[in-house]
This record gives sequence, structure tokens and C-alpha cells, in this order.
Amino acid sequence: MTSVTAPPRRRRAGLRAVPKVVWLFLLIPALVEVGMVFWPAVNSFYLSLTEWNGLGAAQPVGLDNFKNLFADEIFRGALWNNVIWAVGFGGLSVLGGLALAVALNRPRRGVGLYRSAIYLPMVFSLAVTGLFWRVQYQPDGTINTLLGAIGLESVERQWLADPDTALYAVLIAAVWRQVGYVMVLYLAGLKSTDPTLDDAAAVDGAGAWQRFRFVTWPQLRGVNTVVFAVTVIDSLRTFDIVWAMTQGGPYHSSELLSTYMFQQGFTFLNLGYASAIAVVIFVLALIFIITYLVRATKEEIA
Amino acid sequence: MSSAPFSRRGFLAGIGGVGAASLLGACATGSDDSVGAASSTLTLQSSLSDPDPKAALTKVVEGYGKTPVTLNTIAIESFRAQLPTYLNSGNPPDVLTWYAGSVARDYASKGFLLDVSDLWTGSGACANFSPALKELSTADGKQIFVPTNYYWWGVFYRKSAFQEWGVQVPTTWDEFIAVCKTIKSKGVAPISMGTGSTPWVASGWFDYLNLRINGAEFHRELLAGKHSFDGPEVKTVMDHYRQLVEYIDPKGRSYSWQDAVTPLTSKKAGMYLIGAFITSGVPSDAVDDLDFFRVPIIDPSVPVAEEAPTDGYFASAKSKNTAGAKELLSYLASAPAQQQFIQLAKSSNLPTSQAVDTTTFAPLVQKGIKLLNESKAITQFFNRDSSDELQTTADTALTKFLDKPGDVNKILAEWQASAKKVLGS
Repeated sequence: MTSVTAPPRRRRAGLRAVPKVVWLFLLIPALVEVGMVFWPAVNSFYLSLTEWNGLGAAQPVGLDNFKNLFADEIFRGALWNNVIWAVGFGGLSVLGGLALAVALNRPRRGVGLYRSAIYLPMVFSLAVTGLFWRVQYQPDGTINTLLGAIGLESVERQWLADPDTALYAVLIAAVWRQVGYVMVLYLAGLKSTDPTLDDAAAVDGAGAWQRFRFVTWPQLRGVNTVVFAVTVIDSLRTFDIVWAMTQGGPYHSSELLSTYMFQQGFTFLNLGYASAIAVVIFVLALIFIITYLVRATKEEIA
Repeated sequence: MSSAPFSRRGFLAGIGGVGAASLLGACATGSDDSVGAASSTLTLQSSLSDPDPKAALTKVVEGYGKTPVTLNTIAIESFRAQLPTYLNSGNPPDVLTWYAGSVARDYASKGFLLDVSDLWTGSGACANFSPALKELSTADGKQIFVPTNYYWWGVFYRKSAFQEWGVQVPTTWDEFIAVCKTIKSKGVAPISMGTGSTPWVASGWFDYLNLRINGAEFHRELLAGKHSFDGPEVKTVMDHYRQLVEYIDPKGRSYSWQDAVTPLTSKKAGMYLIGAFITSGVPSDAVDDLDFFRVPIIDPSVPVAEEAPTDGYFASAKSKNTAGAKELLSYLASAPAQQQFIQLAKSSNLPTSQAVDTTTFAPLVQKGIKLLNESKAITQFFNRDSSDELQTTADTALTKFLDKPGDVNKILAEWQASAKKVLGS
């Protein structure tokens, strides 16, 4: 118990020792942060309770925006698409990234080349990724040509123009880019695992899967928290790639909350309604992150 | 340009827009320090960010000697989003680019736009503009807009291709369908239409069929919410649209309007109903071969109407230098400035001033002028005659219709429901 109470006392002594000038220097970025980040964010909470088109004063409408939201079919579609997106984007990029990291972890000839090649898409902006994939998905693009070449003409379709495939086509493009990033995170995690544990397990006769599941995986817990947080945040804020590829179309079939918010806010100037969507996105992100962090810390304590 | 706002959306100007919007928003609230400077320098806020029009406007503005003018060019996405903030701020831009239509009228009714009626009378710069343009620039009995150029829509085709296929320019609906049939029999898609990233293109046929069947008056009222999208009139329009569906290139669903020009120029598609801005997307060797015809007449008793989206400028009512703003508007509306802009921008737009010598313009453009002079009524385009928000309800309904023409009744009922929501708010 003494070790728990001691550090705060030491920290308090430290606080007093900080010169006043330093506080002043700290105050400036704090004010900038409050003025440029927190104040607008709080404002959007207020705006979500109003009707405002950017002209004159915002009209308070109570919870009407939220009531309308849940009666809005496009919004519900976008919410559902976001669920598909979070599961698909998160699941595929984590599975793919982890598999690649494990495969490319051991030093081997040319492994650096593979790692860089897989990480390469990450240096492209999502907008460029979107444009690149849009070309592949064109009716006469690479993908349909390839399918035709191997005799799968029946599978050929207009990937981005078909409401049944548009969202998934964009999802694949996004995962293609994200997987390299997740791989690098896991590679870093794998570097910090203890190879002797792995060797010991191998000597004890554990198979490759058992060694991964019971020896390596538990050691990756720290990285998992990071990957989970990054992926959830990335999937909720996904906007640019969808905008570049389909703009939520055809007829809202690939609409995400973020694209719908952008359209409502910046194309139609329904700023109150758009703020309400922003609040929903914020709450969703918060729920995910908090529940996960709470669970992660509990596990750590246990 | 009804094309520009939409086509550029695909290029993510929007993303920059969010950032720029928040920055500009911050500026607008703390901008009273430059009040003194405003009277000596005029600000022209422009959304013409494509290279050629931007260079053209820069050149035109350089030629203005009376007052120094600062030209701010902002991508249309942020421009549109920030327009209320510009107009509402303490020190707004004096003159802004915009287009004629319901959005400008909406701002005028809120008192944000400078009354420029005096430019339209006596020896004013707009006094010789056509009455149709004047009506278009009028809100609540006052003129609030200065149109400087406009363009026409038509069914574009390649002359050499029509010759190859042995088809004649159709003037009636039945002839048109027959031409489609012939072209299809040659293994060519009769109609090209890029409704992928630019779904608004699908409204071109809708607008025209409605104009041909129900007339301009009904069309305007429909877009103003006075008629129902699932009423019998619109159903007749969709019956005609449905006859076209089998002739429309199915790949167009993946194309933008620009992409859909390529099949037309390479003779893999026959015809394309689009605005005159198509010439900017056609290779120079094919431009001379490009021609257009009027959308065929369906009911001869309906007065012929054409779409002629009009671009120009308006001034902010809160401008610190209204006299200077009006002088700048007069300069921009003058014949030499119009001519210089149109030629430098390499567009096929038509000047609004009748003093511009159009004899040096390309034959295609002269034909466009004739087309509009012969029409009895002028409309803008779906979004300009209504709003961008109503446009997306049309995009949803029409692209869905192109995929599933059999569901037309259900689609129209949905369209009416979403249009009602937009118009009600």
C-alpha cells in the first residue's frame, strides 16, 4: 500500500517545483486546444439541438433532430452500413495484418522487400487509393478483365454501380490500404515478444498454432489495445475513400454516417441535422473505446 | 455550370472544404479589423477553380483599372458551404460568382444580396440583356443577379458516325426511338449517360421529357413542390423514360459524365444528352465532327422549352463599397469582358450581352445561340430550378429507376415522400 500512496505525494512536491513560466507556456497550448478543439466540439453538441442553415441565429428544436434521424431511412441504412464497415474493415485488416506480420516476422531473404511492398499502399492518401481502385472497378477495368480471362464472365459486374456490391468494393480498397499499417503494428509487437518462450514451447512439443495461440498471442495484448482503438476510430471516421469512390451511392447503398453527415452539413447546409449525426458518431466511438478500455484494464489488473 | 459543383465532388474538394470551412469560419467572426481596407480594394470571391476558367477570370480582373481587385478562388464545395457565412459576415466579399436560380432568390429574400436594379435600366450594363435573363435575375421585383454567360443542352452526336450508321437527325419522338433501334442493331449503345459519380446527369432526360410532355410551367411548379412526383403527369414522363432505358449504355452506371464522353467520341455510343460543356471533354480532332440536335418534340402543342443554365455574379448587400461593387459588376457584364472570359476559358458558353460579336464563335456555338433563340421558355437545370437537396432525391429516384424500371410506381412514391421532406423544411 505504501508504494501506491507514495508516488502522488512525490508528484505533488514536483508540481510546486515547476516554475511559473512553464505554467505560462503550458497555458498557451491549453488555450489553443480549448479554443480550437473543445469549444467547436461543444458547439456541435449545441447545434445538434437546433435547426440552422448558417444564416442568422440557430433555432432550438430540442430533440427533434434525433427523432427525425431515427425515422430517416437513409440514416438507418448508413448506421447499418457502418456496422458492416466496422466489422468488415476491422476484422479483415486485423486478421490480414496479423497473418502477414506472423508470416513476415522471421528474418528471411527478401522479407524486407515484402514488408515494404505491403506497407506501400499506406503512403497513398485514401483519396488516391479511392481513385486507383475506382479505375480497377470500371466496367472494362482490371478486375473484370481478369475475371473474364479466367473464365468467370458470370461474376463480372459493375462493382461500384451495383447497390449489392458497392459497399464491399469500397471496403476491400480500404482494407488493402489498412492491412499494411496493422501489419507494421503487429510486427513491432512481435519484436517485443520473448523468442525463448516460443522455443521452449516448441521443445515441449507444442504445434505452430498452439505456440501462437497460447504463447505469442497473450504477449500481444498491449498491441491489441492499440490496434483495436486505431481500427475502431479509423472505421468510424472513414469518409474520404467512400467519397472518392461512390459518394455514398448508388442511391445511398454505400452511405456511411460520415458521408451522410458531410452531405447534410456541407452540401445541404442542414447544420443542425448534420451535427446530430456527428453526435451519434461521437457517442458510438466513445462507447466502443470506453468498453474496450475498461475491459482491457480489468484484464490487466486480474 | 450545373456540372461543376457535382463533378468536382468526386475529386474530394470536399475534404479540403471541411478544413477550409472551419478556418474561414474562424476568420469571418474576427474580420472587423480590415474594414478600412475594404473601401479601397474590392474582393471578388470566385468558385471557378478549374484551370482554364480560373486563368480567364484572373486575366479579366487584371484588365479592370478602376479599383484594385483581390480575386479569391475557392473550390466549389467550400464555396457553397461557406456562402452563407460570406454573405452574413461583417466584412463580406463584395462580388461573388454564382448561378441564377432558386438558391440566389432564396438569399435575396433574406436580404443578403445587393439590389442591382439600376444596372438593368437606362444605360446600365445589363440593360440590353434579354427579358428572359432579366426575369431570371429578378427576386421580389428587384434584380439581384448579373448573368454573364450561359450554355445550352442538346443531344450531341458525331456527324461521321451518323453517316456510317445511315441515320438522320430525328425531330419527333418516334423518329428518335427508330434511330436508337437502328444504332443498337449495329452493336453500338445508342445513348451514353454517365450516372456513376455524377448521377445528376440522369435528370437531364427527366427535365427534357417533362418539358416536352408537360411544359416548362408545370416543370417549374413540380420542382417548387406544387405538384406531386407520383402524379399522373410524372408517370407519363417516366413511361417515356422507360422506353429509353434499353438503349442507354449500361456501363454508364459506372461512369462520370466525363467518362461517358469517351464512348461517344470513339463511336461506341451514339448520342449523349448533355450540356455544351461537353466540348471541353472531347479531343480537339473530334470537336469539328461533333454536332447536336434539339431533344425531339413529343407533344407539338407544348411550347418548346430548353435548358440554359446561366452563370454570373451577385454582390453582397453588406459590401462596404456598394458603388465599387456595382462598377465591377458592370465591367464583368460588359461585352469585351464577357468575350474575353468566354474565349480564354475555352468554353462553349454563350455571352449574355447582345453586344458581343458572336460571328467569330464556332459554328456549334452559333447553332446553340439559334436553338435558344427559337425556344419559347428557358429553364435552368433540376438543381438550379430547385435545390441541391431536391437534386439528390432525383438522383436516388432516377438511378434506381434506371436499374429497376419495373419498380417505377414504388420509386415515384418514395421520391414524392423524400421531396416532400426537403420542400417542407
